[in-house]
Amino acid sequence: MSIFLQACVNGLLIGGFYSLMGMGQNVIFGVMKIVNFCHGEMLMVGMYLTFLLSTTFGLDPYACVPLVGILMFLLGALIQHTLITPSLGTKSFTNLLFLTVGLGMLLSNGALVLFGSEYRTIPTAYSQTYITLGQVNLSLPRLISFGVLIVISIALFAFLKYSTIGKQIRAVSQNPVGAEVVGINAKRIYILTYGLGTALAGVAGALLTGFYTIFPTAGAAFGFRALIVVVVGGLGSIPGAFFAGIFLGILETMVALFISPSYSDLIVFVTFIVILVVRQMIILRRK
Amino acid sequence: MNNNVKAVRAYRRNLSIALGLILLVFVLIPVFVKSPYVLNVFVLIFYMSTLSMAWNLLGGMTGQNSLGHAAYMGLGAYASCLLITKAGANPWLSAIFAMVVVGLVAGVIFYPCFILRGPYFTLVSIAFGEAMRQFIINSSFFGRASGVGLPFGKDSWLDFRFASKVPYYYVGLVMLLGIYLLMKKIERSRMGYALRTIREDEDAAAAIGINPTRYKVMAVVVSAMVAALVGFFYASYIRYIDPELMTQAKSTESVLPAVVGGAAYVEGPLVGGLIMIPLSEFLRARFSAMLPGINMLMYAVVLITVIRFRPTGILGWYMRSKVKEFIDVKLLKKPPVEVFEAVELEKNRGKGA
Repeated sequence: MSIFLQACVNGLLIGGFYSLMGMGQNVIFGVMKIVNFCHGEMLMVGMYLTFLLSTTFGLDPYACVPLVGILMFLLGALIQHTLITPSLGTKSFTNLLFLTVGLGMLLSNGALVLFGSEYRTIPTAYSQTYITLGQVNLSLPRLISFGVLIVISIALFAFLKYSTIGKQIRAVSQNPVGAEVVGINAKRIYILTYGLGTALAGVAGALLTGFYTIFPTAGAAFGFRALIVVVVGGLGSIPGAFFAGIFLGILETMVALFISPSYSDLIVFVTFIVILVVRQMIILRRK
Repeated sequence: MNNNVKAVRAYRRNLSIALGLILLVFVLIPVFVKSPYVLNVFVLIFYMSTLSMAWNLLGGMTGQNSLGHAAYMGLGAYASCLLITKAGANPWLSAIFAMVVVGLVAGVIFYPCFILRGPYFTLVSIAFGEAMRQFIINSSFFGRASGVGLPFGKDSWLDFRFASKVPYYYVGLVMLLGIYLLMKKIERSRMGYALRTIREDEDAAAAIGINPTRYKVMAVVVSAMVAALVGFFYASYIRYIDPELMTQAKSTESVLPAVVGGAAYVEGPLVGGLIMIPLSEFLRARFSAMLPGINMLMYAVVLITVIRFRPTGILGWYMRSKVKEFIDVKLLKKPPVEVFEAVELEKNRGKGA
């Protein structure tokens, strides 16, 4: 029983990251209808940024989070402005897809060239601290990260729901032409959205560094899971993404516990295909 | 009128002479080039371009962007290798077996998935590739993560096994040309028109009586079969395969020649492959000891630059460039379009009478 509880909690804690990644992907996909295939790599960039900031300035990884968020926002805005917005005009889905795939390759291989393939960690005083709650052991960095990302999720939800910019973002995602008609600058919203999505991925990376190793392909697993979260949680739904991420995390740890850790990827991908096809069939039936 | 016919004939003759010369150069390369390294790069160009052409049928022509082609290639390689090692089958028979099996698997799995459109198909193809890789890693029948090796031995055409790279060069070249002609045939057939209509507008295609699901399944089956053939060739050439063959990165690599070369053209993967693969191999050989990842970094930079500034790829740029005009008019003596039309008209009139 205690193993089961422990697995549940671990799934919850890692699932929170899938949620955060999924929310970023969700915002981008919702607004521009493009799949951001370099989302995982953005997480990796966030990790390396945190690593650089904490090794050169001696900052605590958690103190880096806001800074990484801002830097990643700028990076995302730059990419959107110089690369993606001009390509949106060609209306070629293939090109947009491979533009983000190419960016992902650029970032992960750039990290490989700059930092080598060594696994890096940011040691902190509390990285090995555990808190025991009943039968469950909780690692302190994981707990802090989870707390922070819950706060971020709620803040993002409130931002999209109540702020003017949030309303503009939702307007563009529902109907870009209509939004332009009522005076919203869609290009500016695209830049904001992509920046926001990248910032969320970067923040997820920064929060991961407390207990995860940093290497050039660290983001790949998270990147694809973010896509699963978007599809399962429903487009445009922040709470949906949140719960889908948690579900995915718990599914993984449950498979690892009851079947075998080496099957968890296989089960996740097969579940994804099944959910996707069944969901689409239900939608077709309704029509 | 007679002059027109002559001009068109002369142009056709010049064109076939030019193409024949290019082909002759490729046929003669192994006679003059003895370096195994250079021959290896050519073999790499041949099979990667073929794989990219397989992708292009689905991605460029049908608009279904698959990111799981390394999985079909890997499955094909595994199917042929296992048949050879476990059942002692002849490699050439195993190639046919691999193509049939992979075609069936792709058709059965993607048939229900084709109710999905746009990005969803891409996601399923990634998930499918990754699921297949994980399945092989976990299955002892497939040799788990350690892979499968093919037996070494004396050179023989029957066993498709050579110490030299020259036979692989010619087989690779024949494979490339065969698949190119097949793709060209498909492009000009009813199926090609149907696929391009689906790419432009699926609802419109359905409205004019094209069954989108049927054609998409046909495209995915043909594409997977070609990828399986490439997998067989790869396995026979390298003589060892492991699940690393099927990673996401390999799928992406197989798409790059098509996108860089021009995904709208059947020749796109050929042009992209001829340019990108030697460049990548050169960088890998030159810099990978100091800077691992530099060749893929360059790939990424070229890809992003091409998409940003030449969205239709290198071939798309060439088709509208002065270079093509020069080659067509000055070297091949291509007559203006009106002359072609006049000849066409004359021919039809002849038929009508």
